[in-house]
Amino acid sequence: MISENLILDRGVSAGDAWMTVDPADIRQALSTLKDGGYRLLVFLTCVDHLVDASRSFPARYELVYELRDMDRPEHLRVRAFVDGDPPRIDSVHDLFPPANWEERETYDMFGVVFNDHPDLTRILMPDDWVGHPLRRDYPVGGEVVEFSEEHEIWQTAPDKA
Amino acid sequence: MSTPEGVTISRTGEAGAFGGELLTVNFGPHHPSTHGVLRLIVDLDGEQVRSVKPVIGYLHTGIEKQMEALRWQQGVVVTDRHDYLSPPINNLAYALAVEKLLGVDVPPRANALRVIMSELTRLSSHLVWMGTSGLELGAMSMLMYCFRERDTILDMNEEISGFRMHTSYIRPGGVMADATPRFLEMLEAFIRAMPGHVDEYEELLTMNPIWRSRTIGIGRLSAEDAKVLGATGPMLRGSGVAWDLRRAIPYSGYEDYDFEVATSDLCDCYGRYLVRIKEMRESVKILRQALDRLPDGPVNVDDRKILPPPREELETSMEAVIHHFKLFTEGYSVPPGDVYVAVESGRGENGCYVVSDGTHKPRRVKFRSASFVNLQALERMALNHMIADMIAIIGTADAVLGDVDR
Repeated sequence: MISENLILDRGVSAGDAWMTVDPADIRQALSTLKDGGYRLLVFLTCVDHLVDASRSFPARYELVYELRDMDRPEHLRVRAFVDGDPPRIDSVHDLFPPANWEERETYDMFGVVFNDHPDLTRILMPDDWVGHPLRRDYPVGGEVVEFSEEHEIWQTAPDKA
Repeated sequence: MSTPEGVTISRTGEAGAFGGELLTVNFGPHHPSTHGVLRLIVDLDGEQVRSVKPVIGYLHTGIEKQMEALRWQQGVVVTDRHDYLSPPINNLAYALAVEKLLGVDVPPRANALRVIMSELTRLSSHLVWMGTSGLELGAMSMLMYCFRERDTILDMNEEISGFRMHTSYIRPGGVMADATPRFLEMLEAFIRAMPGHVDEYEELLTMNPIWRSRTIGIGRLSAEDAKVLGATGPMLRGSGVAWDLRRAIPYSGYEDYDFEVATSDLCDCYGRYLVRIKEMRESVKILRQALDRLPDGPVNVDDRKILPPPREELETSMEAVIHHFKLFTEGYSVPPGDVYVAVESGRGENGCYVVSDGTHKPRRVKFRSASFVNLQALERMALNHMIADMIAIIGTADAVLGDVDR
């Protein structure tokens, strides 16, 4: 189905099959899989592996694409590891329409930039929000509370995204 | 939450098909028919909808970030709160994911109780949907009838878990407590009464001319579109696709229950209504089977590393005290890895993607919410309809905004 040279690594995690591909090949890999029957993108998200000592990862941000073949029914998880500031990867919104909002959410929460996305803007947080809240270096409770007696303490959001 | 600033009504300058000009109108976020705080920026040609742009995020509560700061067993309490109309189903998705990473299987009685709670939740979620949708489209009495039965379900929630809405009843390793004899009596009475009540709803709506003219042919979504847009739940089945996770990828022993997957080929708002009515009847059937075959035995796994020892052991066993202390101070650790588990909620696929880094807190928890994905099909359904039909379309999409924004 998918040519072997696209796959960098593959395995099974708690019963779920997965494969890792090069972020540069993500569109090619996903469109091949789509033609092979995995026509539904169940979800798309990102995992921030900042200071994760349990395993070794090629890069800090792991993009996760969960695909489903509804006829068989079967799941496949595709991973792509990206780094950089901001991390970049190609958008797949034209291959899988549900990815449109999911990519906006991932951009909003992790600051991952999806190339060629038609409307890459914040979706859940306010437009003028600073930082990307689901990054591991973004503190819980980092929200600026105006008129709070502890105003200075609460201003812990990082300066730039 | 990206929007053109301060839009209320503005002229676009584009000419419409009827000689007028296209107007941009702000619909919501505080409009009562948006089921929460959904904002739509709608381009109108006369009364016809030419484009719909949903704006979400008004109910964003940072649940996924919060989960990373809580220990594994504490996270259950937060899962209740994203899709606030189906807390036990959210609990179930999270519990199944954590159990799969831990590699534990819950006892049969726990599975049966999980099925009972899931089906009660599905019923109460559909009842809220039917009551509010009826109210919006002119069938005022629906709300009274539906909330009467919903209150019975909330009473049962209270009896079994102590809470009426945010039950946190289903937990990794089993359920909070065994069902009380009074709960089983209440459930028995409910199962006997419910089919008659569903007949009552049907009498009020199914042949009601106002209801029919406001829903038939409105908000069409073809099977192909529904699949491509990733719609799940009654949205997908209302378009004639027999896809139900309880049947396709069974969990918690759903493969042992005899029920039909409700579908409708009408592909419109009325079809989605028929699917939900049918689903309510099927849920009662599942409840009947679950109650009749409710197995005896424990409701929790016998693993002191995950769940605390019984109270009486604490007085006699030093080991039990140590386990108790460790669980409530540090919690348990889950082996590194990631897993995705999906369950069928009242509005579609409610999934939970969990990543563990081997510590006592999750590295990442992602909720795949049905409402978030289903809402993207709104524009496809509403295009070229009257603005008044938007109410029916938003209603039958049944998006819960807490679930959309998480």
